[in-house]
Parts: sequence; structure tokens; C-alpha cells
Amino acid sequence: MTAVHPPPAPGRELSNPPMDGISNLRFSNHSDHLLVSSWDKTVRLYDASANSLRGEFMHGGPVLDCCFHDDSSGFSASADNTVRRIVFSYGKEDILGRHDAPVRCIEYSYAAGQVITGSWDKTLKCWDPRGASGQERTLVGTYPQPERVYSLSLVGNRLVVATAGRHVNVYDLRNMSQPEQRRESSLKYQTRCVRCYPNGTGYALSSVEGRVAMEFFDLSEASQAKKYAFKCHRKSEAGRDIVYPVNAIAFHPVYGTFATGGCDGFVNVWDGNNKKRLYQYSKYPMSIAALSFSRDGRLLAVASSYTFEEGDKPHEPDAIFVRSVNEIEVKPKPKVYPNPPA
Amino acid sequence: MLNHKSEQFARIETTCGSLLCELQKIWDEVGEADGERDAMLLDLEQECLKVYMRKVDEAKECRTKLQRDIAIAKAEISDICASIGENPVHRDLKPGGNLKEELEAIGPLLEDMRRKNVERINQFIGVIDQIQKISNEILGFKEQDGNKLLVDDTNLSLRRLEELHRELHELQNEKINRLNQVQGHLNTINSLCTVLGMDFLQTVCRIHATLDDSNGAKDVSNNTIARLAAQIQSLQELKIKRMQKIQDLASALLELWHLMDTPAEEQRMFLNVTSKIAASEPEITEANMLSIDCIKNVEEEVSRLEQLKTSKMKEIVLKKKVELEDMCRRTHMVLEALISTDYSIEAMESGAIDPLYLLEQIDLQISKVREEAFSRKEILEKVEKWLVACEEESWLEEYNRDDNRYNAGRGAHLSLKRAEKARVVVNKIPAMVEVLTLKTTAWEKERGNEFLYDGRRLLSVLEDYSNLRQEKDLERQRQRDQKKLHGQLIAEQEALYGSKPSPSISGTKAPRMSTVGASDRKLSLGGAMLQQVKPEKPATRLHPNKKADYLNQNSFLNHQRSSGFAAHSVKRNSEVPGRVIKKQPLSAAKVRENESPAVRKPLSPVSFAVNSNANIVNFTEDQKKVKNGQRLNPGCQTPTGVPAKPTLIGDDENRTPKAMPIPMPTTPSTVSAPMLMAMTPATPATLGAYKVENVLERVQQVEYSFEELRAGFVLS
Repeated sequence: MTAVHPPPAPGRELSNPPMDGISNLRFSNHSDHLLVSSWDKTVRLYDASANSLRGEFMHGGPVLDCCFHDDSSGFSASADNTVRRIVFSYGKEDILGRHDAPVRCIEYSYAAGQVITGSWDKTLKCWDPRGASGQERTLVGTYPQPERVYSLSLVGNRLVVATAGRHVNVYDLRNMSQPEQRRESSLKYQTRCVRCYPNGTGYALSSVEGRVAMEFFDLSEASQAKKYAFKCHRKSEAGRDIVYPVNAIAFHPVYGTFATGGCDGFVNVWDGNNKKRLYQYSKYPMSIAALSFSRDGRLLAVASSYTFEEGDKPHEPDAIFVRSVNEIEVKPKPKVYPNPPA
Repeated sequence: MLNHKSEQFARIETTCGSLLCELQKIWDEVGEADGERDAMLLDLEQECLKVYMRKVDEAKECRTKLQRDIAIAKAEISDICASIGENPVHRDLKPGGNLKEELEAIGPLLEDMRRKNVERINQFIGVIDQIQKISNEILGFKEQDGNKLLVDDTNLSLRRLEELHRELHELQNEKINRLNQVQGHLNTINSLCTVLGMDFLQTVCRIHATLDDSNGAKDVSNNTIARLAAQIQSLQELKIKRMQKIQDLASALLELWHLMDTPAEEQRMFLNVTSKIAASEPEITEANMLSIDCIKNVEEEVSRLEQLKTSKMKEIVLKKKVELEDMCRRTHMVLEALISTDYSIEAMESGAIDPLYLLEQIDLQISKVREEAFSRKEILEKVEKWLVACEEESWLEEYNRDDNRYNAGRGAHLSLKRAEKARVVVNKIPAMVEVLTLKTTAWEKERGNEFLYDGRRLLSVLEDYSNLRQEKDLERQRQRDQKKLHGQLIAEQEALYGSKPSPSISGTKAPRMSTVGASDRKLSLGGAMLQQVKPEKPATRLHPNKKADYLNQNSFLNHQRSSGFAAHSVKRNSEVPGRVIKKQPLSAAKVRENESPAVRKPLSPVSFAVNSNANIVNFTEDQKKVKNGQRLNPGCQTPTGVPAKPTLIGDDENRTPKAMPIPMPTTPSTVSAPMLMAMTPATPATLGAYKVENVLERVQQVEYSFEELRAGFVLS
């Protein structure tokens, strides 16, 4: 990886970026539409392939997370404690419900048809978006968590909840009364992001201390033997390691490889099975706040936006880059044994 | 195909065209306005476009799915290839094929690879299973069902399989080796057990239950082998110990046989034992050779022979003793004067004196006595003659005193003859005594020793005799004078009264009394020597100057008394002095023993011991107190702080707690030291405080994510 790459184009920068920190961005599962939530109290809908802003939806407070429902509607989690449903065509938003504290993350489960939100009020709530407006109709359940929820991820019927205090709870959406597994993060520092493997066997978890852990749901010895963690997003300078938080993880929908983004402004692509870094994109102007692959894995959206890791300070403007992905950057390279038998 | 497709397109176009024409015609007929028509057409166009767009999207979706499937399949294939170590398939799909073909082509390939993978995994599982089983056996783990096999499915290469096979082979070899080793150990133990007369099965079962099964699988774990080896070691040690014992016994046996000429028949029973007297440890293989019974047997035999030997020894000692006494008696020596050793059988039996030593001493004495006897022989012969003469003299006196001696009776003539001879002999006595005295003095001079005769100095005996004889002569003289006077008196009386009393009645009374007294005396001289009249009191008086203590006198007496009796009675008599002697020194020794501490007692160590004892008691009490104190006052930090306080301890005892750190290494204190450490809550308390602080700190500095900080979110 020491070979000098010609500086590849960082991708197409979307026009009309949010005015403040980007909290999350996601590609639609049906099109190349991109939903972006931001600290500027808006959720924006872009057409990534057309580089056009399709809609902008104002909120009562900074928006910490957003997700698609289908191509015509989405959900947002806001720091004003509300969970909202946004219908793009009407520019209409209705409040699905409230938490007691800012809502940090939100996911929509196609399997359960429910919206799942995690909040700093140390609870997880499930919502039924089909219900008529009004919390008492939409709220399915509230599930207390050991700490403030920092990140959520879904695969199939599995839900992984990462909270402050390095707790990790694994739920089965069909039985939310109890976590299926209660775990402690294998990393020593605060959890930044958790994302499930597309094949549903485990999850990747990143921490503020430049490290990613690869975990497996199966508790058998054989499976647990496979888990590991690796360092990334570090810079060695004059013998000292500068370690950056790993803010974002995004799995490639086709190959199961994944990209990580850190406060160092780099995006790395990894092959988790073969424990290799496949690619490193040239440095972005600011911290990588969020990453998302398009449904066919041919596009990667990168939010280069200051994540407030060093407090309030002057920084580069927030930007969203959409880059097309070469197969070679994301295709796994199988491990080659030093001398394969003849 | 392309042709066909373009035809289709053309047809669509023509149908669209014809339809448009038809629409045009209808509109013309109807007279639709141009604006309407344009709007309609635009609408139509847009609807068509929408349909197209949807289809294109669907096709894209389908393509992505196909691509994903292919990628997944390829990834799996390459995964499998990588893991089973095969080169990635080169029959790779032609780049020309379309996605569906590619997927179709890749399907069977994937199946094939999966099958291979499963086969390989099964092979691995089989091998690893065996490896695990054997290594479990070797390590001595119980087989656990939960112990799941771990097959590293990322590396299933043939090379790895080969490695595992090799490992398995090695393990199998090792197992065989171990089985052999165990068998070897078992054989060794078996032979040891047979030799030692122990139960092999029981011994082995104690190590591991599977070992006694001759056919079944034996445990081959490290532990078992180590225990077997340890067992062998201990058995070998036992064997060597017993061997040494039995060899000691055997040598004792041989010695005893040799000593007592034990008949071969008796020897035969123990030949197997004695034949191994010089055998080294491995040479002893005979079953039960070293069993406890066998050793006991031999031991019994040895002790029997030992007893036999002692009794024989005793016999010999007694015989010798009798011989010695006999010799002494013959030479009229007093045994005790010569012998200072104590020859009691009891002493011998009790082991106080070695019988051999005793025997030697007796032999020595015998030779000494014999030598002495030789030198005394001449004098003794003369003494004998003199004594005989003295006897004759006394007989003659008696005879002379018999007034009827001339009466003719049976044997009177013999007596007459004897008297005649006796008179001759008696006349020679003074010369004899003279010579004897001369000889004796010469002997004494030569030897520088007194010549003792039956314990009395011969010269004094002779002197006594001479004195006696002179006295007797004087008596006789006086008697004669008296007789003469008496005769005159009778003659005068006869002259006066005319009658004459018989002299034999009146005259004999007084003189006879006196002679009796004299003879009595004489008897006590010579007769006592000859007849062994019990001279108890006189005997003591015989050597008033002797420096014998009471004990020696006693033994002397008894020996004196016993020497005349048969040997068997000696034992009974000698019991007394034996006992006395034995008891006395023993008790004396005891007294001394008792005394020695008694002597010491008044000195410091005793008081020290007592004090130290007291100190120890106090000390332990103190310690207890210390412990209690600490238990009660967990806050106190130093162990010396508390014990200074208890009022129960005297002032001078206050030193003990101070000295406490010094006796720390004694058991109770070492035990208590860690307890104290454990009990002092100082460290745990600070730890706890630290923890609490930490917790507090953490509570005060709750971790926040960047977002929370930015949002100014603070936990309430």
C-alpha cells in the first residue's frame, strides 16, 4: 500500500450541501436517491446520479439521523426529542412520537415494518409508521437500555444496539422483551458506530480510538474464535501515533467488504474475511461523518463534515461527495497461501 | 436474434405509427384542436417513457441481483479454494458470456467446490477427532462431549491435512510407545509385586482402574505413567530395603549355622534366602522372596537360632564356671579373690555382659588358676600330707582318750596298728610344719603374694596350728602333772580310807571337756577346711582386714557356700548376689540419672525452662490477644500497638509483645501474619475508597459522544 497512487478524484461533490455538520446520509434501496440529515435542522433529499436537490425538510432541532421508508418517504431522528415521518412528494412531515431526550439514531426494518429509534434517554422505541398519527397509536414498545444509545444496526430480524458505557445489546425483533445477547464491546473505548454484516452473521463496531472490532452473533467457540479487532485511522508522526475516531462503517451490498471513515478524513475499504485493506481513497477535506453505498454498490456517498471531535472550531465547509466505485476497490482478494499444493 | 429483435422493434414502431395515424384520422374526423392534440401526444409520450423507465429500473435491479449472486458464488468458491488450498479454478467463466450464463456456469462449480469442502472438512474432523481423542488420552482428560472440535475452515489445504495426518501418526506412535511404556511399567510392578508378595492388581488399581484389565484399553495419560513410575520407584525402594534386611538376616543366619553346626536339613529350608546373600537388587526375582511373611519367617528363624545360641552359650559358660570352681576347690583357692568379674547368667541374659566376653574371661581365669595351681602344687601336696597327719593326730588323740581301746574287739588290732603308724606320723608333724612354713614363705617371697589356702593365709594357719600344738602340749603336760598329783592324792586317800575311785569316771570329765574344746578348735582349723562346715560368721571374721564391701562379702559367702553344691544349685544361690549386684548398680545408675537433672534443677536452666514455658504460654496467649485485638480494632495498623495495652500481662511480660516480630517465623505467627494482613482493612479500605473515587470520578465525568457535547446534552 506504499505505492504512490495518482490522486484519484474525490468524486462528484453535490451542490447545495447542508449548512452545518452532516449527521448521516443514506442511499435509497430502490434508487440512487440520497437522504442526508444535518445539524442545520434539515433533512435533504438528493438525486445522486442527477446531482440535484430534490427536497429539503425543516425540523425543530438538529437532525441526528435519518432513513428511507420507501422512495417516497423517510424517517428522521431529531435532537428536539421527536421522531418524524417525512413524505417527500408533499413536503409534509408528521411526528411519529417523542423520546425524553434527543433521538440519536433511527432505522426502518423491512422485516418488521417498524421504525426503531434509539435515544439518549436510555431507551429504544419501536414505532408502527402505518398507525394514525399520535404517539399512543404508533408506539409499539419502549425498551430500556443500560446507557444512552449511540448507534443501531439491523440485519434481517437482528438488531444491534450500541450504547455509551461500551454496552452492546443484540435483539431479535420478533421478541424485543429481552436482549438476545448482552455484550460488552471488545474495544476499550467509546463506541462510535455499529453495522451488521450483510450476510447476517455478525457486526462491525468502531470506537473513538481508531479501532474496529469484527464480532459474530454465533456464540459457539468456533465462531467466537474468528472474531478480531484491528487498528485503523491512525497517523504515525515523529514516533507518536495520532489516533482518530472511526465515525462511519458502510458495507458493500454485493461483496460484503466495507468502508470505514475516520476523523482523519480518510476512507478505507477493507476485506474483513481475508483481513486486508483493499483500498484507501485520497484524503477528504474534513472528518468523514458518514458513508453509504448505493443499492448496487456502484456509488459511494461520503460526508466530509466536521464531527465536533475537537469542540467548536473553524473548519472546512461540509460537503457530500458521491464517487463511483471500481470493482477492484471493493472486490475481496482471497487469501493466497504462500505455497499452494501442486 | 438481433434481427428478430429489430423486427420486433420495427413492429412496435409500425403499430405505434399506425395507431398514431389512426388517432390522427380520428382527430381529423372529430376536428380536435391542435393544442389538445399536442397535449395528448405529450401525455402519451410521457406515459410511454414512464413505462420504459420502470422496466429499465427493474432490469437494473435484476442485473444487480445477478451480479451479487455471482459475486457471492465467486467469493465462496475462492474462499473454498483458498481454504482447501487449491488453485483458484482456471476454467474461469469466459468473459463473453452474459450474467445468467455466468451464474449458471458457476452453479455446478460452486456445488462441486462445496462438496469438496464438506468432504475436506469431514476428513479434517475425522483426523482432528482422532488427534483429540488420543491427546485426551495422553493428557488424561476425561472425554467431554462439550469439547467441540475446532476445524479451522479457513485452512483446509491438503498440506494441512497432511500435517494433521502426520501429527495423528505421531500421536498414534506416541500412544503405542506409551502403551508399551505402561506395559513395561506394569510388568516391572508385577515382578516387584511378586517378589514383594503384594497384590499386583490391587496395587495397580490404586493407580488407575483401567490398568488391571489385561485386554482392555489402558490409560496412557501422563499422570498415570508418572504414577506408575513413582509406584515402581517406591516398590523398588521397598524391595531394596527388604533385600538389605533379608540379606542382613541371611548373613546372621549363616553365621549362626556356622557357629552351631546346624544340620543341613534345617538349613535347607532357608537355602533360598542365604543363596541370595550377595545378590544385587535385580537378581532377586523369586516370587514372595521378599514378602513380609518370608522376612518374618527368616526373622523368626534367626531369633530362634539366636536364642538357641544364647542358651548354648549359657551352658558353656556354666560348664566353664563349674570347671573353674572345681579347679579352685581342688587347689583350695578362693575364686572370688581372683575373679573380679561378675559371671551371672542373668547379666548375660539381660545382655549386660556379652556371653562371649564372659566365656573369654572365664577361660582366662581358668588358665590363670591352672598356672597358679601348678605353682602351688608342691606346697599343696605337703599341706595335704600335713593335714592327713593332723587328722591322724586328732584320731590318735581320740583313740588315746578311749579307755577301752585295748579291749579286744573287732578291728582292735587294726586300730592298734593305725595308732602305731599315727604316732610315727604325729612325731613327724613338727618337721612337716617347719618345712611347710619354709616353703610357703619362700613361695610368698617369690610371688610377693600371700599363699592363701581356702581363703586363709597358710602361714597363719600353720602358726595357729603350732600355737595350738604348743598349747596342747602344755595341756598335756599339765594333765600329766595333775594326774600325777591326783595319783598322789588318791594314794594318800587310799592310804587314809582304803578305797580307790575309778580314775576313768572322775578323771576324764574335765580334761575331756577341754579336749573337746580343743578338738573343736582344731576342727575349726583343719576340719572346717575339709568338711566345709558352714563358717558363716567365722568366715566373715576370717578376713577382717579385707577391704571387701558388704556386697562382696555377701557374694563371697554365697560362693563359699555354693561351691560345695552341685552346679544346678549354683544358679539358685547365685541369684541373690546377681540380683543384688544387678539391682544395685542399676538403681544407682538410675539414681544418678535422676540426680543429674536433679543436680541441674536448682541451677538456672530449669528455672529457665519453666520460665520459657510460661513465656511460651504467655506468648501464644498474647498472640491470640493480638489477633483478637486486631479483629476488634480493625483500624489499628501495627500489630505491636495493641498487645502493649492488655492489663492481663505483667510489666516484665510487656517485653514479649515487643519481641514479637522476632519469633514471627514460628508456626503460629506465620499463620497469623497473612491473616493479619488479610484482616487489616487498611488496604481494602483504601482500595474501596479508590474505587469509589473512581466511580465518583466517572460519575462526575460521564463519557459523552461528540454529538452529545455538541448538542450540549447533559445527563440529569
